[in-house]
Amino acid sequence: MAQRLALQRLLSLPTRGPLASHGRALGTSAGRRSTFNVQDGSDFQDRVLNSSKPVVVDFHAQWCGPCKILGPRLEKLVAKLEGQVLMAKVDIDDHTDLAIEYEVGAVPTVLAMKNGDVVDKFVGIKDEDQLEAFLKKLIGA
Amino acid sequence: GKNEYDLLVIGGGSGGLACAKEAAGFGRKVAVMDYVEPSPQGTTWGLGGTCVNVGCIPKKLMHQAALLGSALKDAQHYGWNISQPVHHTWSVMAQSVQNYVKSLNWGHRVQLQEKKVKYFNIRGSFSDPHTVRGLTKAGKETVVTADNIVIATGGRPKYPMQVAGALEYGITSDDLFWLKESPGKTLPSFILYVSLECAGFLTGIGLDTTVMMRSVPLRGFDQASTKYLQMASLVTEHMESYGTKFLKRCFPTKVEKLKSNRLQVTWKNADLDTEETDSFNTVMWAVGRAPDTKTLNLETVGVKTNSDTGKIIVDASEATSVPHIYAVGDITEGRPELTPVAIAAGKLLAQRLFGQSSELMDYDNVPTTVFTPLEYGCVGLSEEAAVQRHGSDNIEVYHAYYKPLEFTVAERDATQCYMKMVCLREREQRILGLHFIGPNAGEVIQGFALGIKCGATYPQMMQTVGIHPTCAEEVTKLHITKRSGLDATVTGC
Repeated sequence: MAQRLALQRLLSLPTRGPLASHGRALGTSAGRRSTFNVQDGSDFQDRVLNSSKPVVVDFHAQWCGPCKILGPRLEKLVAKLEGQVLMAKVDIDDHTDLAIEYEVGAVPTVLAMKNGDVVDKFVGIKDEDQLEAFLKKLIGA
Repeated sequence: GKNEYDLLVIGGGSGGLACAKEAAGFGRKVAVMDYVEPSPQGTTWGLGGTCVNVGCIPKKLMHQAALLGSALKDAQHYGWNISQPVHHTWSVMAQSVQNYVKSLNWGHRVQLQEKKVKYFNIRGSFSDPHTVRGLTKAGKETVVTADNIVIATGGRPKYPMQVAGALEYGITSDDLFWLKESPGKTLPSFILYVSLECAGFLTGIGLDTTVMMRSVPLRGFDQASTKYLQMASLVTEHMESYGTKFLKRCFPTKVEKLKSNRLQVTWKNADLDTEETDSFNTVMWAVGRAPDTKTLNLETVGVKTNSDTGKIIVDASEATSVPHIYAVGDITEGRPELTPVAIAAGKLLAQRLFGQSSELMDYDNVPTTVFTPLEYGCVGLSEEAAVQRHGSDNIEVYHAYYKPLEFTVAERDATQCYMKMVCLREREQRILGLHFIGPNAGEVIQGFALGIKCGATYPQMMQTVGIHPTCAEEVTKLHITKRSGLDATVTGC
């Protein structure tokens, strides 16, 4: 079981292309590693609930204007933390059941999750300072 | 009882959702089944029904887009420096409208969740009066049993099957609002308000649009009759003067696809007794709506439908021929096909079923508006219906042609800006109906609907002081009768 989980985790890691192999110096590749799109319920279980690192979950939608502003803003700040926090993106139309389960009303809704529990949350757009404070609180700094 | 739910609602549109949420508010166990059969062209949409997805909402937004185009043209006269001609990009408008509609789909989903209403995205059909089964998109069978069942599946646009190529090459309103690319040169056919509203905004955003009509425009909002002749011709006259082409007394015989992907439409001109043809990018059918009952399996449980229309027959309490099975909204026979009507009927039904209420839905004096470029709002009886009911000697029709103040500086033609009030002639002169053509007709008529509901009279209307300067104030000043034969043009200040 543990072996299968480990294998699953290995397979779910983003592919390592030539850019990534040059180390963590490049911001974008670190960003790519810190942010991922949730594929399904069991993916959420593995990479968010069972994550050893705290995870910021960004519930968003294609039709949501503010989401298109918040997403990249949050991604950028998460990337700066170089792996201390991960970011999971959930499209609420693709994963309605998940969004309903976590009581997502308006979007964007962002949850801060640690050890499978929701420890913080905000709805709507936030500026960089507010996001930095949110992330700082999550890391426990 | 042994049934799983107190209430099952089949159809997640205006009527269905209102009924379900109201029932859940009484602490009942409620479920909603909603399913959208893709249109012949493959268009589909989310929770919320016709109004939200392919009706009122996208229609009004696109109507607004067209009005803004006119406003931009007017703006020069008011001092704005806007380079003419202005251009419109369909895909930008469509994207904004479609995004908003999708946010409403989500909103409805959240509301059901918050009210603890169980949601099934399945197409249900009756297996017995308390059991509905259906298949999910994945093919899994679900069975739902309920003490009470409300059918609110609404309707879908009809296709003129006698026209060759109609189904393969034509679209309907189901598809128009979801087009990602401009429909281009469009032929909406034929005459119902859907056709006029769509033709109106398509022309307004700059598209070459032709409306083909077999007989008269606005052939009854909800019933086949010539109830709105005068108002309908004013509305279409306005559209004509603004660039919509009308092919009157014509009916299509075939639609063919050309190598260029354009559509070749052939039609008969009844007046000239000739056959004519032209090519279009898009042909849109607006020949009426058919009730969505095909897959419900109504015969199995014995729910009676009208043999002509196919709609479900209900009594004043929305009950069908089968105990514990009810119906609300567009699916029901003899009711105005309007969102607020379905919502009110759905809510009242839930209140009667679970809330100890006995209040029935009042279907009289329902106000409504056609959102053509020059809007037509009305409440109460049409002139024709009043004459039929009371006799022309017993009614008085007050009318006026007016000019909205905003049109003056903009040098806009107000020829069709018109209103009329139909009253009883005897005793207190009760107002039977009010009809208004002009900007913001819906906003104008809404308040007067309360007055009519309360039995307002002509003297009371004359005692009501107008708000100045508005178009609506002209209603309070109506004094020229049709009977007098006097010129009905009124001037402002």
